[in-house]
Amino acid sequence: MDERFSGFGAFILYSITASMMLFILAPLLLVMAVSVSDSYFVTFPPQGFTLKWYAKVLQDRDFLEAMRLSILLALGTTVGSLLLGVPAAFALVRGRFYGLAAIKGFLLSPLIFPALVTGLALLQVLTKLGSQDARINLLIGHVVVTSPYVIRTVVTSLQLVDENLEDAARTLGANRLTTFWRVTLPQIASGVAAGGLFAFMVSFDNYPVTMWLANSEYSPVPLVLMRQLVNVFDPSVPAMSTIIILMAMVGVLLLEKLVGLRRALAA
Amino acid sequence: MTTSDDAVAALTVEAPPVAQRRSPWRLALPVGLLAVPMLAFLTYFFFYPALVLLLSSIQTQDSRGIIGRPFTLSHYARLINVELYARVLWTTLRISIITSALATVLAYPVALVMVKSRPVVTRIITLIVIAPLIVSVVVRGYGWQLVLQNGPKGMLNWILMTLHIVDAPISVLYTEAAVVIGSLHVFFPMMVLPLASALGKIDPNLEDAARMLGAPWWKVFLRVTLPLSMPGFVAGFTLVFSLTAGSFVIPAILGGASAVMLGNLIEQQIFVVYNWPFGAAIAVVLVGLVMAVNGLSMWLLEGRRLRRPE
Repeated sequence: MDERFSGFGAFILYSITASMMLFILAPLLLVMAVSVSDSYFVTFPPQGFTLKWYAKVLQDRDFLEAMRLSILLALGTTVGSLLLGVPAAFALVRGRFYGLAAIKGFLLSPLIFPALVTGLALLQVLTKLGSQDARINLLIGHVVVTSPYVIRTVVTSLQLVDENLEDAARTLGANRLTTFWRVTLPQIASGVAAGGLFAFMVSFDNYPVTMWLANSEYSPVPLVLMRQLVNVFDPSVPAMSTIIILMAMVGVLLLEKLVGLRRALAA
Repeated sequence: MTTSDDAVAALTVEAPPVAQRRSPWRLALPVGLLAVPMLAFLTYFFFYPALVLLLSSIQTQDSRGIIGRPFTLSHYARLINVELYARVLWTTLRISIITSALATVLAYPVALVMVKSRPVVTRIITLIVIAPLIVSVVVRGYGWQLVLQNGPKGMLNWILMTLHIVDAPISVLYTEAAVVIGSLHVFFPMMVLPLASALGKIDPNLEDAARMLGAPWWKVFLRVTLPLSMPGFVAGFTLVFSLTAGSFVIPAILGGASAVMLGNLIEQQIFVVYNWPFGAAIAVVLVGLVMAVNGLSMWLLEGRRLRRPE
C-alpha cells in the first residue's frame, strides 16, 4: 500500500490494525445479530430470524416514554449549549482582555472533570435550592457538560474566518448584525452545527450526570436501558440497543458530512 | 482555581484602548462580554457545586442526615484505612493504568496506518474507530456482556472452543479483565485520535532522511517517529486514564462485584447508604487523581517544549 511500510513491520502493523477493527465492531454486530434472533435466550451463534422483539419494543410504554424524554432533553440541551457556547467562543477568539487563557481553561474545564462528580455536585446544590423538577435539573446538568463541546468546535471554525471579509462588508455599509448574519455565520456554520450535534449526542447518551438528576418519573433512555439489563432479563434489550446503534450511525454520518469526523473531534 | 476571579477582574476592564480600535468588531462593544452568560452559568452550576462538594467532604452528618460542623478529615482516613475501600481505590488505579497502557500499544499501529495509508483506507479506519464513540456506553457494555458471556453459549467461548483453543468455557465476565476490555473499547478512540494527530504533524522528510541514511524501519520508528509523537501519546494516555478512572457504566455492567471502581463506590454511598460526606470525599479523591494525571501531562508537554496536538 505504501512504500514506507514494508516487510515484517508492515505485517505487524496491518494485523494489529485489522484485529482492532474487528475488536471495535464485534460487540455492536453481535447486538444487532441477536436483536433479530428467534430464541428467547441469548446464544451464540444466533438462531432463527424474527422481528418480534422490535414489535415488542414499539409497544413498550417505558421505553417510548424514555425516548421522548431523551429526544426533548437533547434538543433543549442543544439549544441551551449553543446559546451559551457560541457567544462565549466569539469572546475567546475575538476578545482582547486579560486572563483570556484562564477563562478559556475555565470554560473548557467540565471536559476534564469527571462527569460523575459534576452530576453529584450539582445534585447537592439543586437539592438545597429545592429544585424538584427533574426535567429542569437534567437540562442544567446536560448543558454544563455539553457547552464546552460547542466552544471547542466553534472556536476552531472561528479561527479560520478571514476578518477582512467582515471589514469589507462593513465598509460597504452593512451593519453589525447583517455582517454577522451574512458574512460570519455562513463561514462558521459547520462548526456551529457540529457543536450542536455533539451536544445532542452527548446529552442523548449521558449516563454519569443523568443518573444523579433523573427520578422514577423522568428517566432518559440510558437509565431505562441500564435498569432493564441489570435488573430483569428482557429479550427485547438487543432490539432497543440496535435502534440506538442505528440512530448513532445517522449522527456519525451527519457529522462526517458537516465537518469531517477528525476535525470535529480534534481537541 | 482562581480562574473565575480572573474572569471577573478581566471583564470589568472593558474599554478598549485606542490602539486596539482597528476592527469594527472590537470597536463596537467589548466582545469579551459575550462570555459572561456562560461564565455565570458555569460559575453557578459547576464551580460553586464543586466547592460545596469539597466542603461537605470534610463535614459530618448527624443522625437526621443534616450535614454540618464539626469539620473532620475522617472520611478521607476511612477511604485509606478500611481495607474494603482502599481496595476499590487500588482497583481503580490498576484498571485505569492497564487500560491506558494497552490502549497505547494497540492504538499506535492503528494511528500509524490511519495517517500513512491511502485516503480511502484512512477514511474507513477513521469511521470504524469513531463510529462506536457515539453509540451509547450502556449499549456497548451490553454488547461486551454478550460477547464475554460465561458458559459455552457466549461468543468468545464458542469461538475458543470451536477452534479448540480451550476445552472448557472460561469465565471472563464479571472480572477485572472484562472491565479492562470494555473500557478499552469505549476509550480507544481517545487514544487513536491524538496519536494520529501528532503523527500527522511529523515532517515526512525527517523519516525519509533517516531512511536514506541507512536506518532500518524499526530504527526510524524508535529514533524519529516515536519521540516526535510524544505529545499525542501523553495527551491520549491522560484522556484514557481520566475517563477510565471516572467511569461508572462499564464496571457496573461488566465488573459485577469483583471489580468495583471509585464511581460505583460513590453511587453506592450516596444512593444506598446515604452517607453524603463519605461519598463526597471519594469524589474529591477521584477528582484529585484525575487532576494529578492532567497536571503531570501538562507539565510534561510544556516542560519539554512539546505542543499539544491541535
